[in-house]
Amino acid sequence: MSGEEEENAAELKIGDEFLKAKCLMNCEVALILDHKYEQLQQTSDDPTSQISQVFEKSLQYVKRFSRYKNPDAVRQVREILTRYQLTEFELCVLGNLCPETVEEAIAMVPSIKTRGRAQDDEAIEKMLNDLSLIKKFE
Amino acid sequence: MFFHIVLERNMQLHPRYFGRNLRENLVSKLMKDVEGTCSGRHGFVVAVTGIENIGKGLIRDGTGFVTFPVKYQCVVFRPFKGEILEAVVTMVNKMGFFAEAGPVQIFVSNHLIPDDMEFQSGDMPNYTTSDGSVKIQKDSEVRLKIIGTRVDATEIFCIGTIKDDFLGVINDPATV
Repeated sequence: MSGEEEENAAELKIGDEFLKAKCLMNCEVALILDHKYEQLQQTSDDPTSQISQVFEKSLQYVKRFSRYKNPDAVRQVREILTRYQLTEFELCVLGNLCPETVEEAIAMVPSIKTRGRAQDDEAIEKMLNDLSLIKKFE
Repeated sequence: MFFHIVLERNMQLHPRYFGRNLRENLVSKLMKDVEGTCSGRHGFVVAVTGIENIGKGLIRDGTGFVTFPVKYQCVVFRPFKGEILEAVVTMVNKMGFFAEAGPVQIFVSNHLIPDDMEFQSGDMPNYTTSDGSVKIQKDSEVRLKIIGTRVDATEIFCIGTIKDDFLGVINDPATV
């Protein structure tokens, strides 16, 4: 992994380990943590004592910032975004922030324009449209 | 950003846990040990979601403890420099404001708040534009960019900015 100084998410320099890892959108994390929370409640009498502060804060956070609540919609979002040759990290930033315009999307994920990929404005616009459709029909 | 990654840990287990429930004991000890911890490299471990494999145990000389190499999947939260994310404002003062994104704290200094926003003191300190249309106060939701991280043994601390295109308040608690 490269040094701490070189880290820059805008250029996708996030270390090999994380670049290859599976990224999770906030809505996906919400599903996972909710499920785990329910499991804990069933297996122990005092679930709050087993839950770390990190877990609690994360759960609150992802619930507050989940764009999609319904598990089917979450699956569709990932499905649609994977069609556009994005890296995991880019996919999740887009899924989390749901930019509305092409300009905004490029500001949020500058790396979709660099690296010589054939990602033109039209393709990005189509992608954003697809995303907003899911939101509408959820 | 949240990630789902595989980590490895050598678990030391006391001989009293050996027996039929060895695996369960190992897993519950693992969860207790790693959930909620933070390292500079992997970030905050939020939750263990599964066990990949448990290697052969090795008896330690002299103690009887056995070390098992355990590979497990977990959800981690790791902030990156240059990443854009949403956060909730927790405290506002004249130096800037603090916001929280999950387990991580982010400080936005007043130099990194747009120049047209002024600090207003009072019982609800806030940053407001001159025309009063945009206000940042406790519980506001902001979109910010991380420009620096500081890592110590048990915490990651971030510096953020909202002085850029498409950053700033997402919604105002007063108007919702």
